[in-house]
Amino acid sequence: MANKLLSLNEATKTVNSGSNKVTLLDNIDLQVTEGEFISLMGPSGSGKSTLLNCIGMLDSFTGGGYTFLGEPVHSMKEKNRSKLYKEYIGFVFQAYHLIDELNVWENIETPLLYKNVKSSERKALVADMLDRFNIVGKKDLFPIQLSGGQQQLVGIARALVGKPKLILADEPTGNLNSKQSTEIMELFSKLNKEGVTIIQATHSEDNASYGSRIVNLLDGKIVS
Amino acid sequence: MIKNYFKIAWRNLIKNKGFTAINIIGLSMGIGCFIMISMFVIDELNYDRHHEKVNRIYRVNSDVIFGGTEMSMAVSSDPMGEVLMKDYPEVENYVRFYASNGSKLIKKGNEYINESAVAHADSTLFDVFTLSAIIGDTKTALSNPNTVVITETAANRYFGSPELAIGQLLETDDNQSTLYKVTAVIEDIPRNSHFNFDFFFSMANVDYGFGNYLSHNFHTYVLLKEGANYKAFNKNFKEVINKYLLPQAAQFMEISSMDDFEASGNKLEYSLMPLTDIHLHSSRGAELSANGNIQYVYIFSAAALFILLIACINFMNLTTARSSGRAKEVGIRKVLGSEKKALIGQFLTESTLIAVLALFVGLLFVWLSLGWFNGVSGKEMSMASILSPKFLIFILILPFIVGGLAGTYPAFFLSSFQPIKVLKGKLSSGSNKNTLRNFLVVFQFATSIILIVGTIVIYKQINHIQNSNLGFNKEQVVVVNNFGLSRETRQSLKNEIEQLTEITSASFAGYLPVGSSSRSDTTFSTETVMTESNGFNMQYWNIDYDYLETIGMEMEAGRNFSRDFGSDSTGIILNETAVKLAGFTNPIGKKLYTTDGDSNLEAYTIIGVVKNFNFASLRENVGALCFQLGNNSWETAYRFSTTDVSGLLATIENKYKAAAPGMPFNYEFLDEAFDNMYRQERRVGKVAMSFAILAIIIACLGLFGLATYIAEQRTKEIGIRKVLGASVTNIVKMLSTDFVKLVMLAFVIATPIAWWFMDKWLQDFAFRIDLNWWIFAITGFVALLVALITLSFQAIRAAIANPVNSLKTE
Repeated sequence: MANKLLSLNEATKTVNSGSNKVTLLDNIDLQVTEGEFISLMGPSGSGKSTLLNCIGMLDSFTGGGYTFLGEPVHSMKEKNRSKLYKEYIGFVFQAYHLIDELNVWENIETPLLYKNVKSSERKALVADMLDRFNIVGKKDLFPIQLSGGQQQLVGIARALVGKPKLILADEPTGNLNSKQSTEIMELFSKLNKEGVTIIQATHSEDNASYGSRIVNLLDGKIVS
Repeated sequence: MIKNYFKIAWRNLIKNKGFTAINIIGLSMGIGCFIMISMFVIDELNYDRHHEKVNRIYRVNSDVIFGGTEMSMAVSSDPMGEVLMKDYPEVENYVRFYASNGSKLIKKGNEYINESAVAHADSTLFDVFTLSAIIGDTKTALSNPNTVVITETAANRYFGSPELAIGQLLETDDNQSTLYKVTAVIEDIPRNSHFNFDFFFSMANVDYGFGNYLSHNFHTYVLLKEGANYKAFNKNFKEVINKYLLPQAAQFMEISSMDDFEASGNKLEYSLMPLTDIHLHSSRGAELSANGNIQYVYIFSAAALFILLIACINFMNLTTARSSGRAKEVGIRKVLGSEKKALIGQFLTESTLIAVLALFVGLLFVWLSLGWFNGVSGKEMSMASILSPKFLIFILILPFIVGGLAGTYPAFFLSSFQPIKVLKGKLSSGSNKNTLRNFLVVFQFATSIILIVGTIVIYKQINHIQNSNLGFNKEQVVVVNNFGLSRETRQSLKNEIEQLTEITSASFAGYLPVGSSSRSDTTFSTETVMTESNGFNMQYWNIDYDYLETIGMEMEAGRNFSRDFGSDSTGIILNETAVKLAGFTNPIGKKLYTTDGDSNLEAYTIIGVVKNFNFASLRENVGALCFQLGNNSWETAYRFSTTDVSGLLATIENKYKAAAPGMPFNYEFLDEAFDNMYRQERRVGKVAMSFAILAIIIACLGLFGLATYIAEQRTKEIGIRKVLGASVTNIVKMLSTDFVKLVMLAFVIATPIAWWFMDKWLQDFAFRIDLNWWIFAITGFVALLVALITLSFQAIRAAIANPVNSLKTE
């Protein structure tokens, strides 16, 4: 039986816009067990990204409960929360968000630096990633010298290098053509089979079909 | 991790070459200026520190007020040192300099050289001061008459080397000709010493009426024993005065006690001044060299610090201006697990790296401008002084201080970005209402405005001094030294030169109304018996019949000395101040009394009153002065009227050389001698001007950066406004108004501060300009204009950009 990774209980997110209170996420209940591959679907503004950000602890719910690996995130201090996601969560973005001033090797290495991994170990881990993603030859190139698909590969490699339990991907193929999209999705699928839990937000039915479960959002509510 | 920081920092610098250049140039100007001023300040603070017993050496100063004339002098009487040593056990030793003659002619081959770095000194010189011998025994070097100790430079000049100099004879013009044996050669005195003599002659050769307590002509230094307190020691001088001075003074004036003397508004005080205070805290009569001024040290330090601050502020503003470029990186790093602390570390590393680069460029600036700065400040500093261990450590620490100062705010600012906001490209543009940044801009411009006002006021004041009515005409007068000429030859040479058509008037001129000239003063009384109330002190100058015409002075009443009157040798001409001091309403024909060297009473009849003229610094009001007919002829002044000044000089030189073979031709223009009195003010003016220019340049660099920032942030807004029909002028106005307001606020804040400082500075001058409102108006206008020009670059660029491009980016 797989372990429970995280659970949301009536998680709510509201923001104040002027004098109006706007509800972005409304009473979300979601359980995620390790090894799942979940696709969040819904139209623009339905709350997919907000939900991902809140799960990723970049943002926080304003109400309800959020438990990650048995720890109550909603009552945690900023610092502990940051420690938690640094340890267990990797992010993949639509716009890749590589650091322009660092080359491929250095981009992948960066999360390890923040985890205070030793130099020799870092080298081994990064080399391992490069090898696994077949981008050894590109290790000295800068993001600007890569195609979109290649940049996203680096982005995924960077997300994975810290051995996270959970990958959060926000429209990972939104800026890619269909061939590159397929490659990335197949990579996700492969990673999932290797045991990585993935939650992705997507517009595309095709991409969603790679997942083990689809969660539909509309106006901040889970509709199915 | 640090390596990663450096890598990122370096790549960022390379990527944004323009910003990096502005940042580094601004900071390096600030750092360069700061280093240069530090060198200056350290040099100023280290005067006379090379003496081993520096903390135990004190100079005896004297302060006299007599009959309304106030004199603060660096000299005291000749027996003072001996008396102190004899009566007070705290005094371990003393040494005196006698340098009243100013210069000596010293013979080299067949030529005489006019040496001004000369003094007579006691044999204890080397027990008090640390002057190390290259050759010879300084213990006994000056014990005997007709001995001289010279510096290495002098030895090289006269004999070729210290070894060749030792035991040789030097011939001087003392009593026509006196021979001195070189008994020791010492190392050159460090430049930052308040005395810089090349020749120390034996005190035994001074031709002087020794034992006079009332005549102050000796620089006396005492060496106190370990642990003695000089402030406590100063109380002893009252005893010295009562025991030694009063009995002597009673011989020629009615003086009952010190208390009565002081009760009538007079004063006689002696005090010890620490050797280390002399250079920066003493500007008395008879100083051995033009001293510095602690106030200027403070002002320069403050200005340098402020310029460094302005440069740091630039860095802050430019860095935060570029924040949108860095925001994404901050967001990613936070998502990848970076803590805020790590990001702050990274940005501080970057600012420090820039500061280090700026340090090198700044050192280059220092190296390039040191020659100029030496010229302006009158120093001889070299890059080598940077290499002293203390200074080197200071310089190595400097980039970290600057990096921290400039980098802390941007580091906190940048590292506080929220990842979800910046990664979505929603960097809030509300931050252009940043009060801190506005405050910094106001600070920069207020400082610049204060410096500009200071510069204008200093220049106006110097101009005022040079053009004010001095009471004499300093233009077109040359003063020639009469070395080696007998009285008769001086007269015939003067007659001969007077025949030249270019010469309009000639006069012997032992006394001149410029700072470098000699002075003498004595006490006069309106009654035959002098008392504390009818006596007063004034300058008395011996002049001849043509002096007033040659120097261009004017009579207020009565008449000048005239060859037509036989009795003029007992006549006297007073200046207006002297008339007031004596209390005469109708002075002509009244008598004044004084005593001659042998205490005989002399009576003078007032024949005229000369209009007040400035003979001291314009810092002071005109003091009391009188002219007597005399024959002080060791200099001759010629008033000329020609455009070919060098031709005239050559003619005079030929005639002089013919009359005095082998003697140096020494001359001075009266206006130059006058200008030299204000050299320090002119220096300060130049330094202040360079500060002001530097400050405004750096501040404008910062403004340029900010304008870039604002234009960058408001690109979309500008695009929309243009689509809606705004003209370029509208946009430029919109972008500039906020900054113009800030500059105006800076002006409002700076004006009273600048007024207060400059008013204080001007209080030093008895003759001073008024602080006109237009000085401030001009400054404000200039600051605003420069700011507007700087702003318009960016504003116009943003305003003429095609809105299609700026709107497409979203």
